[in-house]
Amino acid sequence: MLWLWILLGVVVVLLVLAAVGYNRLVRLRNEADTGWANIDVQLQRRADLIPNLVEAVRGYAAHERGVFEEVTKARTALQQARTPGAAGDANDILTAALGRLFAVAEAYPDLKASENFLRLQEELTDTEDKISAARRYYNSTVMHYNTAIQSIPWVLVATPLGFREKEFFSAAGDTEPPQVSFAPAP
Amino acid sequence: MTLQQQIRRNRLRSSIVVIGFVFLLVLLAGLIGLALDVSLGVVALVVALVYALVAILRSRSMISGITHAQPVGPDELRSLRRLVENVSIGAGLPVTPELRIVDDEAPNAFAAGLRPTSSYVGVTTGLLRTMPKRELEAVLAHEVSHIRNSDTYLMTMATVFAGVIALIADIGFRSLAYGGRSRKGGALVAILAIVGFVLAPYAALLLRMSLSRRREYLADAGAAEILNDPEAMALALRRLELDTVSVRYADASTAHLWVESPTDRVDSERRGVIALSGLFNTHPPIPTRIAALEEAGGFRLPDRLSPDEPFAVELGLT
Repeated sequence: MLWLWILLGVVVVLLVLAAVGYNRLVRLRNEADTGWANIDVQLQRRADLIPNLVEAVRGYAAHERGVFEEVTKARTALQQARTPGAAGDANDILTAALGRLFAVAEAYPDLKASENFLRLQEELTDTEDKISAARRYYNSTVMHYNTAIQSIPWVLVATPLGFREKEFFSAAGDTEPPQVSFAPAP
Repeated sequence: MTLQQQIRRNRLRSSIVVIGFVFLLVLLAGLIGLALDVSLGVVALVVALVYALVAILRSRSMISGITHAQPVGPDELRSLRRLVENVSIGAGLPVTPELRIVDDEAPNAFAAGLRPTSSYVGVTTGLLRTMPKRELEAVLAHEVSHIRNSDTYLMTMATVFAGVIALIADIGFRSLAYGGRSRKGGALVAILAIVGFVLAPYAALLLRMSLSRRREYLADAGAAEILNDPEAMALALRRLELDTVSVRYADASTAHLWVESPTDRVDSERRGVIALSGLFNTHPPIPTRIAALEEAGGFRLPDRLSPDEPFAVELGLT
């Protein structure tokens, strides 16, 4: 009889531990989802600024068609990106394209002095700062979440329970460890 | 320990603080009841709880009043507001806290509010005139992590209850000392009551101060994490350390709110009198805070300050 009670006690404790652990995974996943939503808002805001910016520059430099197309294409790609990894890549391509657009703008002092252009440029810089702030938060939540589902005992049951690893959102200009190769020179 | 765990631990600690203070209150009321009059004890307890409730509900505007923090119009100081937005996004706060300005030459900042959604960050004009952008951002991140960690909630609770306990102990002490006729119980009860009335406020103060100091290390670490730049926080602290101006409208009741102790002079005077004054400081010493950041970030702070121009220049403040 005593053994039965002990067994029952052990089962109850295990169930409680499982429930607490499961809730923690759900919480971590929700945090990461919120973190991603924060990035998404800013990416959308960035994409929304682009048409006005292109129009502003087009008014002064209509013949620079190649650059406009490049920027517009990068913007579409960013809006169609579905996963954090793809969005990160698309965002980098857009950044590069915008760099070329601003290089074109450099040649037109009137454009650079126009209030509309200055305001758009400021908004864009602000959005980029916010994307990088949101990225820091998102990546830290993803790290906690991934670590949790890769740890014992959850690594055994995470996938069947629907907890999948999440992608980091990386951007060019991140400080990455230097690539050191120990392969002998050919 | 993840940040979320720290936040939940903080909430738990808040509940323990509240329970501890309520326990102290009941104890004091019981002493009044024993040594003086049962009905007086009950009245004191009820008054204390109502007072605490009102103070907690009105804490937001009270703190604003004590510190002389002014709200900022929607078109003013846009780039400063953007910095607050950015650190809030980095902290994962659901809402950006409101920005308030304290017109004071002492560089300092504070956070207040019961919930993350109704909080605000106060910044002195002196801070804007001293700190370059990078360090200012670190100070803002420090305040925002106070909000995220529910420190503002915890400290509001602790402050209000410390005040209430001081009040009740004072009432008890005075009634005992001057209300000769209503006294009852033996000499032992009277002595016990006096000791309780004298020690309770110190116990409350001690609890409040120790909570506050621990929160500072956490907020420093939080700021370093939000910006991914522990050095910025350390640089900001070094600059605050070298500054000796005290905040005009700071007093003991709001000292724990600020990024560094707003009353340097008071602290050092006290240090001369009470050898154990470290116990009563609201903030850990700045060199210790810098050392903690250096250890966590794996860097050594250079001896000189960065020559960058203060953020006030960008804001167009004169």
